[in-house]
Order: sequence, then structure tokens, then C-alpha cells
Amino acid sequence: MSEDTSTRTSALGDLKKIFGSGSSNLRQFGILFSLIAIILLFQYLTDGLTLSSGNLINLVSQYSYILILAIGMVMVIIAGHIDLSVGSVAAFTGIVVATAMRDWNMPWPLAILLGLVVGMLIGAWQGAWVAYVGVPAFIVTLAGMLIFRGGNQVIGNANTVPVPDGFTIIGSGYLPEVGPNTGYNNLTLLLGLVIVLAVIFSEWRARRVQKIMGSTPAPLWVSIVKVVLLCSVIVYASILFAGGRVGTSFPVSGIILGVLVLFYAFVTRNTIFGRHVYAVGGNKLAAELSGVKSRRVNFLVMMNMSILASLAGMIFVARSVASGPQDGLSWELDAIAAVFIGGAAVSGGIGTVIGSIIGGLVMAVLNNGLQLLGVGSDWVQIIKGMVLLVAVGVDVWNKSQGRPSIIGLLTRKKKTAEFPAEPPLVVPDSGTPESARPQSTLPN
Amino acid sequence: MRKILATTAIAAVALMALSGCSTRTETAGGDGAAAGFAEDSVIGVALPSKTSENWVLAGGLFEDGLEEAGYKGDVQYAGASTTVKDQQDQISAMVTNGAKVIIIGAADGGQLATQVQSARDAGAIVIAYDRLILNTEAVDYYVAYDNFNVGELQGQALLDGLATKGDGPYNIELFSGSSDDANSAVFFGGAMSVLQPKIDDGTLVVASGQTDIKQTATAGWKAENAQSRMDALLTSTYSDKTLDGVLSPNDTLARAIITSVKAAGKDIPIVTGQDSEVESVKSIMAGEQYSTINKDTRVLVAQAIDMVNVLQKGDTPEVNDTESYDNGKIVVPAYLLPPVIVTKDNAADAYANDPTLAPLTE
Repeated sequence: MSEDTSTRTSALGDLKKIFGSGSSNLRQFGILFSLIAIILLFQYLTDGLTLSSGNLINLVSQYSYILILAIGMVMVIIAGHIDLSVGSVAAFTGIVVATAMRDWNMPWPLAILLGLVVGMLIGAWQGAWVAYVGVPAFIVTLAGMLIFRGGNQVIGNANTVPVPDGFTIIGSGYLPEVGPNTGYNNLTLLLGLVIVLAVIFSEWRARRVQKIMGSTPAPLWVSIVKVVLLCSVIVYASILFAGGRVGTSFPVSGIILGVLVLFYAFVTRNTIFGRHVYAVGGNKLAAELSGVKSRRVNFLVMMNMSILASLAGMIFVARSVASGPQDGLSWELDAIAAVFIGGAAVSGGIGTVIGSIIGGLVMAVLNNGLQLLGVGSDWVQIIKGMVLLVAVGVDVWNKSQGRPSIIGLLTRKKKTAEFPAEPPLVVPDSGTPESARPQSTLPN
Repeated sequence: MRKILATTAIAAVALMALSGCSTRTETAGGDGAAAGFAEDSVIGVALPSKTSENWVLAGGLFEDGLEEAGYKGDVQYAGASTTVKDQQDQISAMVTNGAKVIIIGAADGGQLATQVQSARDAGAIVIAYDRLILNTEAVDYYVAYDNFNVGELQGQALLDGLATKGDGPYNIELFSGSSDDANSAVFFGGAMSVLQPKIDDGTLVVASGQTDIKQTATAGWKAENAQSRMDALLTSTYSDKTLDGVLSPNDTLARAIITSVKAAGKDIPIVTGQDSEVESVKSIMAGEQYSTINKDTRVLVAQAIDMVNVLQKGDTPEVNDTESYDNGKIVVPAYLLPPVIVTKDNAADAYANDPTLAPLTE
């Protein structure tokens, strides 16, 4: 950053660094801003019920499996494909697992493993058609949607098959009550504390790395504001989650989701494979000429999606205490909507895991808030449809105007100043640089 | 590192400070019934999708009835394509809203155990409306029409109708409801208790041979599924036979079956039904559908609201069947209302009190 531009960098510009740098982070900021606005709106409309312990716990366990699907879906969409079969794959896995436990008395941990293997096989089947035969993913997964929905009904005789109590922990289980009676769920508080420490540590490390690399980190006060903001949100959330009705606390499905988000955010941002997914989706020919094995990437991305779909299906079955013929209906649409609200591009090459999760949360909070208000599902669908259209519409319009987002519009002049040659901030909550173009700091 | 320590300390202090004033509630258990509740409490009503006139009517009646009784009614329908998930979420939302009684017309009675358990834990009383909720201890009451009796009446109506066609043997086909609805097997069982002896003695012939409930099921109670199955049966079995009668579990499916028969250019057989839907009453008066069942939704909704009133005072509602409805975990105490069979002959009497249907029977 030259002398000239750094003098023009205002406090507002510094503040934006809270969300990392680069245009995709600005877009994520836009959607994060919408999420906060929606939460506050419903908090007001429902007289504080939205951010009550019971409701937050419900929200996580109701939407964790949709968000898990969104993680896989964003990778599929970044690679330039689509997967319409996830709902059917989830339903198929669910019925296989439920039937295995009922008819073969399979222990539930083994049944979960079986479910993941089923997902892997289905994924390999679909991935092979997409990557090696070259049939468009839209067609392959449309076929999969029919095949596995039918498969669900063949195996289950279109019946509802109950699952044993042990299995339900992944869908309706909570962190157990241990230790002294503090009036809160101790493990949930502990989890919150661990996350707080991790946030502080990673921010401290990021600054140190930047110093070592000789780049100019954001001013110290920016880091402090960021860490304090994040930590207070985390502390507030953990107190809410820990303070629900006795016997409830942070849902197990939420923990599974959290681990997956961390893992896949890392994979897409920091690994060779992850960067290859962006490369293939951004420009397949260029990627191949640069030595990326695009077939292998496509195969793995499709297979990964089906594995996550099977996990989502099992979590839903566990939550419903039974596998039914209507499981998974229109889940693919929820997952795809989450990904696009989260800033992914239809043409591929653009999108982030964190963005998709935020997009999914927007839909979840909207759905939940409208239900708390007693709005009928007919209107909920209309409103969700409009939100999807407007969110993507604003994004597309802004891009065609050469602006990354509304926030970008507000601070456009500063943006041009600080944008070039900014090293990627290594912090867990910042998104990936969205471009498919290999970055100089990354192996290709 | 100083910053780290400082922030950690702040966080820890905040946690401790807040832990002193916890508002954590204990599980309320099932004893909420004994105490009663406020007269303006929230009463949740979760109904399946609006695919049948009956549910739409019931929703309207619940809204009006609960409001009249002074409660805050929270009546919600599930979306047509995502019924199970919507209903789970809606029940959770009702619990969050502090509903004292939750009346549930289940989309899939087998998939609500987690939600009704959390409703009970929060102190709400759960009433299963029209469809039983399975595999959970957390269902307090079941209110419905006597569905086995519905099946028996349908079977008898089919026999009566066939008798008007001259002597047997008669060719019939059997349809049953959606297999994820616990009532489907009860209807079918009731009907078969009347029809099976006649099938065994040769009076009735199921020409397609499809007599198992798995073969006769209609997924999702959807008209299109019944219609396509009837199309297939007509093509495969009745190209050179006459079809005399069809057992249909409800009116929507009955009309789909009649549509299919008409499209194939055949004479309309004796078709049974259930629910007294407007279109079917018209069809009965026009001499197409043979019978339907009048399970007056008004009476059933009124009965459910009566139960809420009794519970509000802290009393125990009356039940008349404590043996039949085993949901896999417990036997749910039930209040059963008697259904009435309706044909062209008694339609005017049966619907005399119904403002919508009465004019159709004149």
C-alpha cells in the first residue's frame, strides 16, 4: 500500500477490515448485515421470542441439516454444477439406515457408518456419470432424484419406519448436563469459552503472521473491536443456549454442523483441492491447461455432496424419530437457495462456505420468525421466494454496475484505494477470495 | 497476550455474573393439566396441508371457535410439499409461543415424537386431532370419528349399492389411503371386515387380485395417484369385463376414480367415499358417486374445543375409549364420535344443519 492511498484510508475503511478484505468479504458483509437486520426485526415483532433460549435451540436443530446440505451444495455450485438429488439421497439413506436397525438389529453407530457408505456409493455413481461420462449434473441428479425417491418407497413400502432411541441423539440430542449446578448447561458454557479463546488466539496469530511477512496489518483498535464484538456475540449466544429448559442445551446436530463448517471452510480456502474446485468452476479449460485434473475434482465434489446429503438425511430421521416417505422433499431447493443468497454465482467459480451458511441462516430465521408470528406456510413460501429473488437480483445488478455490493457502493472511493495488493487475512471468519485465478501465495 | 488475558477475564466475569440470575426452567412434566391455565392462553392448532376441503374447513372453525371462547388461537397449515418438516417446525414455534394446549392433525403421525415430547416438557397438553400420533408417550388425548366404524359403513354401503345392480357375482376393486397415515389401515380393516366374507363366498370378485393394503395404497392421499392406478386397472383387467363397484376411502379419491372410469368410456360403478366434500355431494345428487360418510367437521372441532375448555378449568376431559388406540408406546385415551353414512336417499336429512351442503341436496 503506497503512502498516497494509505493516507486516504479512513476510519470507515479500517472498520471494514473487520470483515477481512476483498470484494467477496464485502458481499458477505452485506448478507451478514441483512441477517442481523432480519433477526432484530423478528426480535421486535415477536416480543423477544426470536432470541429466547428455546427458540434458538429449535432454530439450530431445525435447520442444521439444511445448512449441512448447503456446505456440499456450495462446492458443487462453485465447480459449476448443481445437485437436485440431495433430498432423495437423504430420504433413501434414511430408510436404509432405519430398516437396517429395525430388521437386522444393527447397532446405531454402525448404522450411521452404513449410511455414510451408502451416501458415498451413491455419490460415486453420480460423480462417475458427471465426471467421466460427461452427462450434465443437472440431468444426472434429476435422474438421481427420481431413482432414490423411488428407492426409498421400495425399501420402506412407502411406510414410516421408527428408529431406536440411541440413534436419535444425532438429531434430537443435546450436550449432557455435567458438573455442578450453575443454573446453566456447563458443557455449552465451556464450548462458548473455547470458541472465545480460539477467536482471540487466531486474531493474535493473524496479526503476528502479517508482521512477520512485513505487511501492514489493520490498526490495533480494529482488531480489538472485532474480537470484542465477536466474543460478546459468542458469550451472549452460549448463555442463551446454556439457559434453555433443563435437559436442553446446544444441540448435537449443531456441533456436527459447526465441525463441518470449520473443516470445509478450511478445505475450500486453504487446500490445493479447494482451490482446484474454484479453478474448475471459474474456467475449466484454463484450469486443465494449468494441470488441474478437472474430472477428478468433479467426481469428488459430487461424491462429497451425496455423503453430506446422507448425513443430513440421518440427522432428520433422528430428529423425527422415524424415516418416512416424505423425508427430504424439496430440500434441494432450500440448500440451493441458501447458496445463492450467500453470494454464489450460477456460472460457477464464485461462492464461499461461510456465505452459504449465512444465506441459509437468513432463510431459517425468516421461516422461524414467520412461524412464530403465525403466518401461514403459503405466505411463508411467497416471502421466501421474493427474498431469494431480491437478494440475488441486487447482487447481479450491483455487479453489472461494476460495484461489489451496497456496502461497496457506500464506500466505493475508499475501496479502490485499499483494494490492491492486500495480503489475505488469516482469520477464521473471513471468507475466501472468490476469484478462480490462482493467487500468488497459493500453490497451483 | 495482555489483550487475550483481559478479554478472557471479561468473558469469564460476564459468564459468572449472568449465571447468578439464571431463568432456567425445570421440565414441567405432564401435570400441567391438573392446574388449568389462563382463559386467554395461546392454543396451538397444527394442521396438514390444504389439500383437502376438510382441513381448510377445520382450520376456519378452529380459528373462530377458539377466538369465541376467548383464547389466542394459533392455527397453522403445513406447506403442500414439505408437510412433515413444516409441521415439526410449527409445533416447536407453538411451544416457544407458550401454547397451553396443542391440537395436532398430523401429516405423518410417526414423525412428531420429538416435538410433542418437547411440548409436554414445556407443560403443554397435546391432543391428537383426527389422526393418532405414534411412538411417543407425550400424547394426552385423541379425538376423532370412529374410523373402524367408518370402514364398516363403507363396506356395507358398497354391498347395498351393488345389491341395486341385480344379482352377483360382482367385480370390485379396492383402494386404501396413504400408508403414512395411521387411519388408512383402520378404514381398510373396517371395510374388509364386511367385504372379506363376501369375497370368500364368491359374491364379490376382486378381478385384479389386488387385495393387500400395500397394493391398494394411495400415496399421500393424492387424487392423481388413485386416478393413475384406476387407469392402469381398467387397461389391464377390465377391457372385457364390467367393473361393478370400487371401495374408495375418501371423496377426493372417489372422484378421481370416477374421472378415470369416465375417461375410459365405461359405466360408472358403485363408488364409496368419505368426508362429505362439496363436489362429492353434488356427484351423489347427480347419481354418480354412490355414498359418502358424514363426519361433520363442525362436531369434531367443537368436541376438541370442548376438551380445551375442560382442561382450562383444570378438569379431566371425558373419553369413551381407553383400549383401542395403542400408538406403540401407550394406549391413548380417545373420544370417538359416531360417523353417518350418506347416500342420495338420506342426503337431505344428513346435511340439514350444514349451510354449505344443505342447498345442494334440494
